[in-house]
Amino acid sequence: MRNIFRNPLAVAGLCIISAILLMAIFAPFIAPYDPDAIHVKTILLAPSAEHIMGTDGLGRDVWSRMLFGARISLLVGIVAVGIATIIGIFLGAIAGFYRGWVDTVIMRLVDVMLSIPTFFLILAVIAFLTPSIWNIMIVIGLTSWMGVTRLVRAEFLSLRNREFVLASQTLGAKDYRLIFKHLLPNSLTPIIVSSVLGVASAVLVESGLSFLGLGVQAPQASWGNILTDGKEYIEFAWWLSLFPGIAILITVLGYNLLGEGLRDALDPRTSKN
Amino acid sequence: MLSYLLKRLFWMVPLLVGISLISFLIMHLAPGDITSTEAGFNPKTSEESRQKLREMYNLDKPVVVQYGLWLKRISKLDFGHSFASHQKPVFWEEKDKDGNISKGMIQEALPITLLINVLSLILIIAIALPLGVISALTQNKLPDRAITIFVFIGFAIPGFWLALMLMYWTGVSHHWLPISGLHSLGSDKLPWVSQVIDTLHHLTLPILISGLTGLAGISLFVRNGMLDVLHQDYITTARAKGLPENTVVYKHALRNALLPLITIFGLSIPGLIGGSVIAESIFAIPGMGKLFYDAVLMRDFPVIMGILTIGSALTLLGNLLADLAYAWADPRVRKGVSS
Repeated sequence: MRNIFRNPLAVAGLCIISAILLMAIFAPFIAPYDPDAIHVKTILLAPSAEHIMGTDGLGRDVWSRMLFGARISLLVGIVAVGIATIIGIFLGAIAGFYRGWVDTVIMRLVDVMLSIPTFFLILAVIAFLTPSIWNIMIVIGLTSWMGVTRLVRAEFLSLRNREFVLASQTLGAKDYRLIFKHLLPNSLTPIIVSSVLGVASAVLVESGLSFLGLGVQAPQASWGNILTDGKEYIEFAWWLSLFPGIAILITVLGYNLLGEGLRDALDPRTSKN
Repeated sequence: MLSYLLKRLFWMVPLLVGISLISFLIMHLAPGDITSTEAGFNPKTSEESRQKLREMYNLDKPVVVQYGLWLKRISKLDFGHSFASHQKPVFWEEKDKDGNISKGMIQEALPITLLINVLSLILIIAIALPLGVISALTQNKLPDRAITIFVFIGFAIPGFWLALMLMYWTGVSHHWLPISGLHSLGSDKLPWVSQVIDTLHHLTLPILISGLTGLAGISLFVRNGMLDVLHQDYITTARAKGLPENTVVYKHALRNALLPLITIFGLSIPGLIGGSVIAESIFAIPGMGKLFYDAVLMRDFPVIMGILTIGSALTLLGNLLADLAYAWADPRVRKGVSS
């Protein structure tokens, strides 16, 4: 654990993510205006002391919308990765523990899913569901579990015949006990690293979907759809397109830094050299 | 080599079946049947033509039978006709009774997406390779740190935002580059050289965007690969026998460090095809991504299913080619598989 706080990447990532998380959680207290309140008099104002990120085409305060948008982006990212991780652990554990035909079937399914261009698959599914943040979370989760499955399976395969597992099995431990008490706790490191990195890519996918109009729907603010609104005004209201992009960049950067930092700090092979 | 190829081809069969199954099931996610208004079908369509569609897709039969019949059709590469775009064939050109040829939608879109991806891959290699090598040779020193920061930002930057910003900066405020479409107005009257230049001019921004966003991963990969190889015994041997450092780095180390890149390019194909959606819709480029996005908005099922199936099959093909290229480039793999 102490390694994590000595790793500059991990610390930087942790600081960025905590700051954004705090802003998202306390959005109602920090936001100076109602994010959805439309004002005719304040349409497309440039950033100023009153509106630090300016206002949009409907006169809404962009800073307030960004704060509430952070809630959506982080929520979608974290829940989607949660879903993917649970599916991945489940399938990977079964494949790595039981091997044989179960393993073959699961790994072929992984191969199939990996060969379908992910963004196409997400778009195709989203198109037939009503676009809501819950559907987006579920769809991103259901299309991104393959990496975790492979990781967990590989860990299980390498741990399965180690002495401590065999000893426990000889003493009569049931399968679920072997899986949850012995194998899973020893494979947590790569799972954590890949989940943290997964949030980064889920945030990118969500913002891309919202940007295309198939994600979070107006009037609910998300960084992606603030950017879509901004696209229309890009010639005379640069602030509408600039800030959401930077927010996405910083968030994704934070998760990537934390993920890579954790990998370095928790992996004894890389931390030695 | 031949038995390896046959084995790989054999393994593609269950994958293709799985892909077709998933593409097929997506059509059944829609509420009601695909010709109903709930599924977003054009409500003005007459009951008669709906009935025709139902017959064409065998919607009155059980799902399993429907899948079987669809599979039979696509095995002959017949992906049907678009609902939305005047009954154009989805995949390849067809001749009608009067001998008029109507081009297939994927036939027209695929070369454009492939062209953009191949050109941006060349751009990526041209920049990422030197960056990765410099990074590895100056490990933990200033150039390496600077490149690493660049890599992290490259990973985090949303491609569509970069596209918007560059589009605004180079196209709208400076008029350096065209920001949409593939050709200028009236370019078809120009001689072909000017036409090619005109198209490339239009493709500059899209290629730049997909190049810049793909750069980070590859340069990190080259860096780590180089570091891995430079610590191996045979490099120490090469140095010990007095070879010049340049020979050691570029002739002995780099070659081996680059081998896994072949696999990485194979694996990045679905991402490149999928990633084309946003870039192509921003720049209004009529490639696979835009075709798919429009089909999704119009609920054009034959096109959606066709692109999903063909896009995935291309990915499999890409992976296969990458593996074969790897076996060709690396005698260890080649000898290992033929024995």
